[in-house]
Amino acid sequence: CNDFLEVKPKGLDLEANYYKNQQEAFNGLVSVYDVVGWQGGNLTTKVGATLSASDDHLGGGEGTGDKTFTTWADYTLTPATGPQEDLWKKGFSGIFRANTMLQKLPGVPMDENVKKRYIAETLVLRAHFNFDLVRLFKNIPLLNETVTPDEMYNVVQATPQEVYAQIEADLKAAIAESNLPNTVPAASEGGRVTQGIAHALLGKVYLYQQKWAEAAAEFREVNGATPGALNAKYGYKLIDNFGDLWKSTADVKFNSESIFEVGYTSTSAGGWGCIACTEGNILNIMTGPRGYTTKTANAPDYISGWSYFPVTQSLFDAIHYDPRYKYTVANLDSLKQYGIADYTPGAQNTGYFLEKFAGRKSNTPVGQAGAPELNYPQNMYEIRLADTYLMEAEALVMAGNDLTRAADLLNAVRARVGLGAVAATMDNIKRERRLELAGEGHRWFDLVRWGDAATALADRGFVSGKHEILPIPLNELNNTKLEQSKEYGGTR
Amino acid sequence: HAQHVVSGTVKDENTGEQLPGVNVVLKGTSNGTISDAEGRYSLEVPSQDAVLIFSFVGYAKQEVPVGERNSIDVSLMSDISTLDEVVVVGYGTQKKSVVSGSISSVKASDLEAMPINRIEQALQGRTSGLTIAANSGQPGGGATVRLRGITSFNRDGGNNNQPLWVVDGVIIDNGGIGYLNQSDIESIEVLKDAASQAIYGARAAAGVILVTTKKGKAGSLKMNYNGYYGVSEPARKLDLLNATQYATLRNEAAAANGDPLPFANPESYGQGTDWQSLIFNNSAKRQNHEFSISGGNDKSTFYTSFGYLSQEGIVATDISKYKRFNIRLNSTHKVKKWLTVGQNLGYAYNKSIGLGNTNSEFGGPLSSAINLDPITPAVVTDPVEANQPIYTNNPVRRDENGNPYGISPYVGQEMTNPLAYISKQMGNYDWGHNIIGNFFVEAEPLKGLKVRSTIGAKLAFWGNEAFTPVYFLNSSNIISQNSFSRENNVRLDWNVENTISYTRTFLTDHNVTVLVGQGAYLDDNTRMTRVTFNGIPADNFDDASFNYKVPATQRTSDASEGQDHTVSSLFARINYDYKEKYLVSALIRRDGSSRFGQNNRHGIFPSFSLGWVPSNENFWPANDIVNFLKIRGSYGVVGNDNIGNFSFLSTIGSGRNYTFGTTGSYLNGFSPNAPANPNLRWEETTSTNIGFEATILNDFTLTFDWYKKATKDILQNPRIPFYVGAISNPAANVADMENSGIELELGWRKQVGDFTLGFNGNFSYLKNKVTNLGNGIKFLTDGNAGFQGSAYSITRTEVGHTYNSFYGFQTMGIFQTQEEIEAYVGPKGKIQPNARPGDFKWEDINGDGVINENDRKFLGNPMPNYTYGFTLSAGYKGFDIVVFSQGVAGNQIFNGLRRFGIASSNWQTEALGRWTGPGTSNTYPRLITNDPNNNLNNPSDFYLKDGDYFRVKTLQIGYTLPTSVVSKLGVERTRIYVMSENLATFTNYNGYDPEIGGGTMSIDRGIYPQARSYMVGLTVGF
Repeated sequence: CNDFLEVKPKGLDLEANYYKNQQEAFNGLVSVYDVVGWQGGNLTTKVGATLSASDDHLGGGEGTGDKTFTTWADYTLTPATGPQEDLWKKGFSGIFRANTMLQKLPGVPMDENVKKRYIAETLVLRAHFNFDLVRLFKNIPLLNETVTPDEMYNVVQATPQEVYAQIEADLKAAIAESNLPNTVPAASEGGRVTQGIAHALLGKVYLYQQKWAEAAAEFREVNGATPGALNAKYGYKLIDNFGDLWKSTADVKFNSESIFEVGYTSTSAGGWGCIACTEGNILNIMTGPRGYTTKTANAPDYISGWSYFPVTQSLFDAIHYDPRYKYTVANLDSLKQYGIADYTPGAQNTGYFLEKFAGRKSNTPVGQAGAPELNYPQNMYEIRLADTYLMEAEALVMAGNDLTRAADLLNAVRARVGLGAVAATMDNIKRERRLELAGEGHRWFDLVRWGDAATALADRGFVSGKHEILPIPLNELNNTKLEQSKEYGGTR
Repeated sequence: HAQHVVSGTVKDENTGEQLPGVNVVLKGTSNGTISDAEGRYSLEVPSQDAVLIFSFVGYAKQEVPVGERNSIDVSLMSDISTLDEVVVVGYGTQKKSVVSGSISSVKASDLEAMPINRIEQALQGRTSGLTIAANSGQPGGGATVRLRGITSFNRDGGNNNQPLWVVDGVIIDNGGIGYLNQSDIESIEVLKDAASQAIYGARAAAGVILVTTKKGKAGSLKMNYNGYYGVSEPARKLDLLNATQYATLRNEAAAANGDPLPFANPESYGQGTDWQSLIFNNSAKRQNHEFSISGGNDKSTFYTSFGYLSQEGIVATDISKYKRFNIRLNSTHKVKKWLTVGQNLGYAYNKSIGLGNTNSEFGGPLSSAINLDPITPAVVTDPVEANQPIYTNNPVRRDENGNPYGISPYVGQEMTNPLAYISKQMGNYDWGHNIIGNFFVEAEPLKGLKVRSTIGAKLAFWGNEAFTPVYFLNSSNIISQNSFSRENNVRLDWNVENTISYTRTFLTDHNVTVLVGQGAYLDDNTRMTRVTFNGIPADNFDDASFNYKVPATQRTSDASEGQDHTVSSLFARINYDYKEKYLVSALIRRDGSSRFGQNNRHGIFPSFSLGWVPSNENFWPANDIVNFLKIRGSYGVVGNDNIGNFSFLSTIGSGRNYTFGTTGSYLNGFSPNAPANPNLRWEETTSTNIGFEATILNDFTLTFDWYKKATKDILQNPRIPFYVGAISNPAANVADMENSGIELELGWRKQVGDFTLGFNGNFSYLKNKVTNLGNGIKFLTDGNAGFQGSAYSITRTEVGHTYNSFYGFQTMGIFQTQEEIEAYVGPKGKIQPNARPGDFKWEDINGDGVINENDRKFLGNPMPNYTYGFTLSAGYKGFDIVVFSQGVAGNQIFNGLRRFGIASSNWQTEALGRWTGPGTSNTYPRLITNDPNNNLNNPSDFYLKDGDYFRVKTLQIGYTLPTSVVSKLGVERTRIYVMSENLATFTNYNGYDPEIGGGTMSIDRGIYPQARSYMVGLTVGF
């Protein structure tokens, strides 16, 4: 009779007997990487959400009921409304999976060197998740192990200093691991963590803590001795054609400028039933102009998208005469005005869209299963070399030493798009970062860390001393020991 | 005054069947006779003054003066006050008079010729204790059934509040109960208290409904036909704004926002498009035909039937239809004097065409018809407009004349032209075959000792065929490549039960029945396969075929299998009564379930009940006021294992995938789904029931019950903090809840001369309260209770309140002037400094001087407190009339019909009464596109409406042709009738239909309403 009740799970593995070989360890590692490309509920991505908060973009989208991004764009977000819950979930999902791996890996019978590499990769990814969380929320629980059911409601928040200390420790441990490679073959392993990623991320972590000298040292490791020249150790070099960075072809993915790249593919058959499940890039359909129709044969082949993250007049004015303009801004206003194409204005419409991501018919998957609009294969850069050049230049300027190298770094970025040299000043670096990295999700973080947000976002309702962080999501305060941040009327 | 012979036939008043074995006695003598197998009798009477008395078990006695007649035909009425009526209990039957649990019954005679397509409708309003609401008016659609309230909490994808259905001893999964043919039903018993349910211990907590199908009777062959044909129409259309009103209000909302006016001249649009009339069908056909033959001899009996049902939906009929064929064969064979074998077997085929969203604010024909602007034409006939790029550059859907279906430039997203939507779904359908039956062997080696073995099974095949053409419904609904898909599912549930029972009377007055038994059950083993071909060379369903062998890259397939769920049980029951005066029943059941780990695999569920029949006591004087009285009480515990399989373990989930490199392929990632809970255990429901049954003044039967039902350790997957990082929530025993209520059933039947009159009514009151949510948990939020893009759930479950109560902001009228806004102050000054006249004044519930998420409160209850139903029947000679009505009261409905997230959605005409200046409205706020005060965005009492309704469900008028006319044709009985269903509904609710089922009832997102039908029918018995 008891045998009858002992049902064997079909096609379902139990945690108790999983992680029993190298393949299963690798499968677990993939689940940690999955969170790097996470596109959560309500279409929330880190890049998309922070775009809407910056002075370069607005929330856009549908309008009235669709307030996930517009509430951050106009700074009316509350613990209940805004993108914070999905960003919070993303970060902690990554940390849970990373912690699971760090707990399971020591016991997996497998090649010890491979195991060490997996551990190092996991540490870097955990640091990445913690870094995003602490930047966005400041007051987060620091979890270095998976939370047991008994402890589930007893978790409390750590100080930002404690979180940063853990991030640094994780990254240093990974860098010290000789099994973490300097480079990986782009075709088969592009996107996996390397020593280069660990150094670049550590540099950025230092930069956010204004540890200028340490930051500069890490970036120098990544950028190489001679700005503009190949860094042979990691294979890093700026690519010649700026516009190529936004292509989806195999020769462009994981190019020499790419350091930490987020992979997407058209082959996962993502469908409407679970938008968050697709491995395609949803920013392409999100940033496309709403109701786009062509009126002439030579009209650009944008797809009809959802009009999220329209480009502001401010960014348009700043970049209009820059060589990077045409790769950055899609000027639908002008296309409509000249009768070349038409579109339906969405919420917070400006007439300008984000060219870097706006979906193109030519890039729409054809003959593949799933909903084409959810399966764009365009990758995104979490960190690329132009970014680390500018961050190193910034660290050097802020530290006040080696301004020559700072200028070389800054001007290498400019020279690539045919612009002349300028002096290494913070103003120049800030302007360069804005134009070079527009639409890639750095601007809001930069404004906040520079202390420029209150000025740049004054007309948007940004309140200094409050809007530098997101509120702890309302649901997360229910029944837990977490406290809302003081910035949002809480006690933390 | 000569002696003469009187002869005639005795029949059943209701069914017209001849009654064999009726006692016919000459009054005042012992002379008499018994009617024969055809119901005929013949008796010599001494004079014209003689009076004949007709009596038969289960029927009211009738006295007939003879007079000069030689032929006297008599119809006997079944006697509701009969004490010999039998009810089906678990694993057997029991005389109703000695039942000490709480059981409500519905008999075949209550359902005769009623327009019932699904068994839930047979129960709605006909017994106390049940709250039933159709999930939609889509033909073939199911219903939400709650027995004595909500027993457990909703669970994603679970049916843990739906009662257990047992058909002829076979446990039927809740989705599969739709296969039954109405006229095959002999009786339905609703087991309401734990003492009655406990025999089905493991899965009985949400109640048990036993369905018994008809069996043959020894005697001549009976043939019956019943059929009806009719048309359906929507009972109600919403009052929506016409094009001019719409444009006017849009302009007003834009102006308030400081935006340019979207419409220069609202008057120019006139009435515009009435989208509702384009999808509603006022003459949707429905028909039902049932044919049965039964009979047998003293060795074998059989009942066989064939049924055909066809119903068109009233909404978008082309994609809303249902058809069902049934075949049944029940037979019993007495192989030896001590050995009986038999089987009950039903087969049903159904084909259903469904329109998709039947209660959703996110598109589909109904939601679109409600929300689309009335300006856009249904079909674009203006050539200038039809040559706009949106029509020429895209694969838009067109009507038979090649004109494009209009695409709204104002209301987009999921709201699409319903005609275009219908055209893209033409032909797609779901199908199902269900074979459900059991086979039994029963031996009676000694008198009173029965050994019975039953094997029952449900074999179900179902699936669908769907073609999706290339289409462009609007810029958000585009399919650029067609696809054709086929899905097949198969599932076998089975159960084996072995019982031994012994019935004996000791010392003449002590009646004892002992039952012991064992059962084993398996279900959940669904096998699914689905294949899709993309880009086949066809553009409509009829031409689509899998013979078009597209390249492998354009084929997708999927398959899965369910996890077996097994339950193993042992049970024992004893029933005892002394002279039918003192009644005792006790039961114990031990269940094991595969859904729990070793720590708590088995649960033990005891119960007992006691009864006393004072009217059988010697001291009880024979009287005509209280003829019969039984007082009974019961206490018992039943269990529930309705949580996902393997929930007590931590499982590894797939789909956490990521792509490396440039090849485009991706890697499969796996991670734990949720922490394990090895201590997961049975959810238990304890119920106490006290009631009485009485027969009063000979003609009234009255049943009263009071109960209290407490569920503890409710199985849930409570949301855990997000920082835990698990992808799903671990199962846990989280909460306790209590239901209490009273139930009343009243019956009355009277024959006065040629008139027969009857009344059957029931009334239930119930109150639900959550008593515990576990340590530190203040409240839970049901995942299903989101509302469009709102940040707030519209329901909340909190200790001390009704489960899933409506929760939100409270309006305190509308600010009429700026002064009122200035005057609305709290500790921090103005409470709503940004409000403008015309905005809602929100109650500052926590008094902190600001309006935010902490200013929400409980606003109402989605589940009715009161349900009632009654049947009135009357007959005169050949004519009869039945009126069946039911209703509910005490609940609120969330009117979420309007898609407020699309600011340009149309409004109901209530919006014409919006605030437009001081004194214009104190209930409907001003219109403003961006809604800065969240007048619409905040779930509030503004959306809640009273959910009470009273509905005349069925009105039927029949005429039975005189026997003298039809008997020449060899026909025993012919009745023609006309009837209506849902003739009238009385309610203050302003949506389509106040009856809204679903996991959380009474949330109206644009529900497919119940149809109103008119039918004519015919019943013929041979």
